[in-house]
Amino acid sequence: MSVSSPLLATLVSATEEVFDTMLAIPLAARPAATGPLEAPANIVATVAFAGHRKGLVVVYTSTAAARRITSSMLGIPLQDVNGEVPDAIGEIANMVAGTFRNRLAAVEPRSDISVPAVTIGSDFSTVYSSSLHRYRCPFDMPGGLPGDGLSVELILTGESDTTA
Amino acid sequence: MRFLVVDDSSTMRRIIINTLNKLGYTECREAGNGREGLDQLKAGPVDVIVTDWNMPEMSGVEFARAVRANDDTKAVPILMVTTNAAEGDIVEALKAGVNNYVVKPFTPATIKEKIEAVTKA
Repeated sequence: MSVSSPLLATLVSATEEVFDTMLAIPLAARPAATGPLEAPANIVATVAFAGHRKGLVVVYTSTAAARRITSSMLGIPLQDVNGEVPDAIGEIANMVAGTFRNRLAAVEPRSDISVPAVTIGSDFSTVYSSSLHRYRCPFDMPGGLPGDGLSVELILTGESDTTA
Repeated sequence: MRFLVVDDSSTMRRIIINTLNKLGYTECREAGNGREGLDQLKAGPVDVIVTDWNMPEMSGVEFARAVRANDDTKAVPILMVTTNAAEGDIVEALKAGVNNYVVKPFTPATIKEKIEAVTKA
């Protein structure tokens, strides 16, 4: 089973809207991927959703990208970013998942989202059941190195509706 | 104009307060959930409340009901800023006493427009 392109396009446009509106950062979306991340993600923010669809929206960033995002979001100099990163990336995940959910709710029964959970570290991996359908949307950010930007992953359970 | 910003996300409180400051509203207090928001209201009056919906301990909807149930605060305009955009959510918030509604992500222009709407009403 594969996730429909409109579903991924909805996730991409939701992510772009959040970054454009709240951070004034124009993201450049790259083709969706299913393999491992191109660069290690030190910050992983997860929001679950349940209802018509069941699954997760997961935001992956490097430390450098997360600091740039936090700086833009809060309007503070990059060198002053310190403990704000977890809450800022969690809020990004919350808004991306919320916008994604709201757009889908316009055309299908609603799903509800959880509060975000954020993991930070340098030596960890995230493992999910092999029965889940995973689709990752990578983005480049202005001023960042290719592959050192941001990825947003859509993870759906087997019984989820994977069309849009 | 005095504002009370209630959100469990310190990031979102900062974004909203930054936005209010840019709009010329510099008297802003903050709280991390509805319960803390009620404590802030006991500490001194405000002219507008900006609150999130999903918060621990006391949600934005519960907070709005509590504000409306108190004679000292029942007339304070409440603006809700949330990702909940379903029609049912908006109806529930309005029934609880919320005056207007902003769906995240938002622009400063949207916040300005909604503040003007709730303070003119």
